[in-house]
Amino acid sequence: MRVAKFLVGLLLLLQLEAAYATSDRAETPQVSAQLVASVAAVSPGSDIYLGVHQRIIPHWHTYWSNSGDSGLPTTIEWQLPEGTIASEILWPIPSHISLGTITNYGYSNEVTLLSKISIPKEAKVGSQFTAVATVDWLVCNEECIPQQVQLSLSLPVVAASNPSGAGSPLIASALSQLPIESPWPVQIEQTADGINLKAAIPESQAKNIKDIWFYPADWGVIKQNIDQPYRATADGVTLSLQSGEAPRKPDQPLKGVLVITEQTAKGPVAMGFDINHLPSLIKANTQADIGFVSALLLALAGGLILNLMPCVFPVLSLKALSMVGHAEQSPRQIRLQGWVYTAGVLTSFGLLATVLVILKSGGAQIGWGFQFQSPLFVLAMAYLMFLVGLNLSGVFVIGGSIAGIGSSLADRGGYSGSFFTGVLATIVATPCTAPFMAAALGYALAQPGLKLFVIFISLGFGLALPYLLLAHWPRLQRWLPRPGLWMERTKQGLAFPMYAAAVWLIWVLAQQADAQIVLIALSGMVALAFAAWLYDSTRNTRPNTERIGTGITLSILLLTLWVGYSSVSIISESGGGSTTDKTAATQNWQPYSPKHLQTLLSEGKPVFLNFTASWCISCLVNERVALSNSDVKAAFESAGITYLKGDWTKRDGAITAILTQFGRSGVPLYVFYPAGSNASPIELPQILTPDIVLSSIALPK
Amino acid sequence: MSLRKFATHAVLTAAFISASLGALMSSTATAEPVVDHAAPTFTGKTVDGKTIDLASLKGKTVVLEWTNHECPFVVKHYDKSSNIPNLQKEFTAKDVVWLQVISSAEGKQGHVDAAGAIKVNKARGAAPSNTILDAEGTLAKLYGAQTSPHFFIINDKGVLVYKGGVDSIPSKKPEDIPAATNYVREALTAVASGKKVPNPSTKPYGCSIKFAG
Repeated sequence: MRVAKFLVGLLLLLQLEAAYATSDRAETPQVSAQLVASVAAVSPGSDIYLGVHQRIIPHWHTYWSNSGDSGLPTTIEWQLPEGTIASEILWPIPSHISLGTITNYGYSNEVTLLSKISIPKEAKVGSQFTAVATVDWLVCNEECIPQQVQLSLSLPVVAASNPSGAGSPLIASALSQLPIESPWPVQIEQTADGINLKAAIPESQAKNIKDIWFYPADWGVIKQNIDQPYRATADGVTLSLQSGEAPRKPDQPLKGVLVITEQTAKGPVAMGFDINHLPSLIKANTQADIGFVSALLLALAGGLILNLMPCVFPVLSLKALSMVGHAEQSPRQIRLQGWVYTAGVLTSFGLLATVLVILKSGGAQIGWGFQFQSPLFVLAMAYLMFLVGLNLSGVFVIGGSIAGIGSSLADRGGYSGSFFTGVLATIVATPCTAPFMAAALGYALAQPGLKLFVIFISLGFGLALPYLLLAHWPRLQRWLPRPGLWMERTKQGLAFPMYAAAVWLIWVLAQQADAQIVLIALSGMVALAFAAWLYDSTRNTRPNTERIGTGITLSILLLTLWVGYSSVSIISESGGGSTTDKTAATQNWQPYSPKHLQTLLSEGKPVFLNFTASWCISCLVNERVALSNSDVKAAFESAGITYLKGDWTKRDGAITAILTQFGRSGVPLYVFYPAGSNASPIELPQILTPDIVLSSIALPK
Repeated sequence: MSLRKFATHAVLTAAFISASLGALMSSTATAEPVVDHAAPTFTGKTVDGKTIDLASLKGKTVVLEWTNHECPFVVKHYDKSSNIPNLQKEFTAKDVVWLQVISSAEGKQGHVDAAGAIKVNKARGAAPSNTILDAEGTLAKLYGAQTSPHFFIINDKGVLVYKGGVDSIPSKKPEDIPAATNYVREALTAVASGKKVPNPSTKPYGCSIKFAG
């Protein structure tokens, strides 16, 4: 009975093995080898994978393409039907095995060495495709034994329309073990006695790293038998490698595989990333540590100037109005208004800083203006701007009014109005950067939480300062005109900048998501306008009517927000265009990618970099005024400058990484790399004129 | 501004000097031999029951060859091809001192006593000047020898001029020998004619040295 069961079990096992196309096993005392295929049948002209699977007894190992201090890589010699092409071995990620003073790179337990096989078009349907592999390996524990086996596998040739059948699961698992392109920007840097390899792995992910090891493609590039210490910082993980007996020459790239073993809920998981890098030519003018105090002062100055930047224009108009509105009040009240406005600005900056700190600790690649990268935020802002505009136009009036300029100018509600004016000022200021700000924010974002917070508060204080001064300096107030009917007119007039801001935000939204979103957003605005009108026309009527009016208004509001929210989520998930996708025939720029830049620089070509975003008004102004100027375009062309444009409208880690390299936290950033690979990059100011651009690109010769 | 520049410069220079000093000190501390530097001196027990001192060999070119007669890579270059024995004969005839070193620990692959070493060499036609028994692995560790075979060549002034493998094709097939560049012959020929060794540091290939433990 037992024997019968055993036989049935054995039969099942055999059937299981036979379910996939495999060769017979070739056995040595240490290794059991078998040829496996990704298909059960081949068709003419198709590509398949064949794998040599080695099962190795405990404590023994075979070798990777670079075997390390001793050992030999496994080799496969194929005998294949005429016209068949076999690739080199595709090596799964190795592990490092240390024995005394030597370290080897290889495989323990089991490995499948893949080759990609291209079946010739001439293969005859109905015939057999026979592959014979002569496999040579060295298997070692402390001692080494060279072994050779021959494995043969025949697969039926079927027409392409026929199913190719199930392949061995070993192939799929080996494919998942092949190194891939690194999702994080990688840089290498020559040091006095070796190489620093830096991968921009976010800190949050770096925490889970159990082991990180660089396997050089060639022997002796690094010392194989010593530890590879690494440290994780906010801008990535840096691995220190010591040069070995055959160090990399300056013009040679560092080649190899970076293997990162991550601790996951399911246990450690190893992933390999291809490294093929020249030392970074993307030299940044690494800004000297500007220090905390100067960062504070720069932030203050930046905040002050922010008041004058184009994106703050709608807010300026709001503030101007509320200032005039307060002209009737007592000096004490005006001072208080000033402080409440300041409190509004500072609270928002505080919140912004807190969110940044939290996101940063979560490993997000973020920067100034990051909230505009969210289509939801942009839609909400568009609605808000529109409602403020409606309010200014007088379509509806809320008690103290959202912008602090309600029906009775002197009432208490004015204070909450001032507060929200401050909040609004902060929100609309974020897509803009002012001179001095970039340095301060770049510094701040690299700092621990508290310092970042304080610098942001300083920036906010700078933004609020002009108004606060005005509120405190009665003499300045005398310059303000007396209130009168003109105020009502001005107020209504200032609704138009608000509408303009809303229009701009809808445009930004269309860049981020899809043209369809415009329909949704504009319909939402109609609904909001209707709600505002309904609300206002049911005021001062019978209590019941008023209640019903409020109810309907609220329902419309909620419905609009819900529709906006869900459609943005759906549309932005399905992807969408961004400014750089729309390629016009006349465009003189190419989209930025780190690889592209690296290639151009290694060829010694001059490059102009522009990092921009649809929601960044300063960026758009610069592009219009300076970079699209015909003289500038002509100069770019005649000097053979490649103009690369990076669009940060949506989140993009690669762009954030290069911004960080230049000590920036946001756009705009303009950099010119003169011709010749050794030239240092030139950073341009954040406010451009054609002359600034022309002189910067003409200067170095 | 210029003061600041000067200060930065001074700090950098100081940092550079201290870094290079540090590097120098650490390299003397590990004493791993570096090509174009003085080879570490040593004394070793030889199969003829005597002690050999590197210092006493000054004025002669010395080859150190780590070996392990049971290692397949050594077998490739001895039993299957006589590649290394031929080198030994060729260069000992030219007054080169050829010292085999056997660093396999007791009980490990390739370990032999004096009589065993002589017997093995006779059987495979080896003709070194002498054979050093280094079962404790002291000499292997001093030189950073990692494989068998692994070669170190010291010129008549006691300077290390070559470290690495026997040839340029790391394989276990004797058929590969004719096509490979024999780095040891290349180095010894260069040294004999007072030229610079063209490939002073190459990949050693073979079995790992069988240290104790």
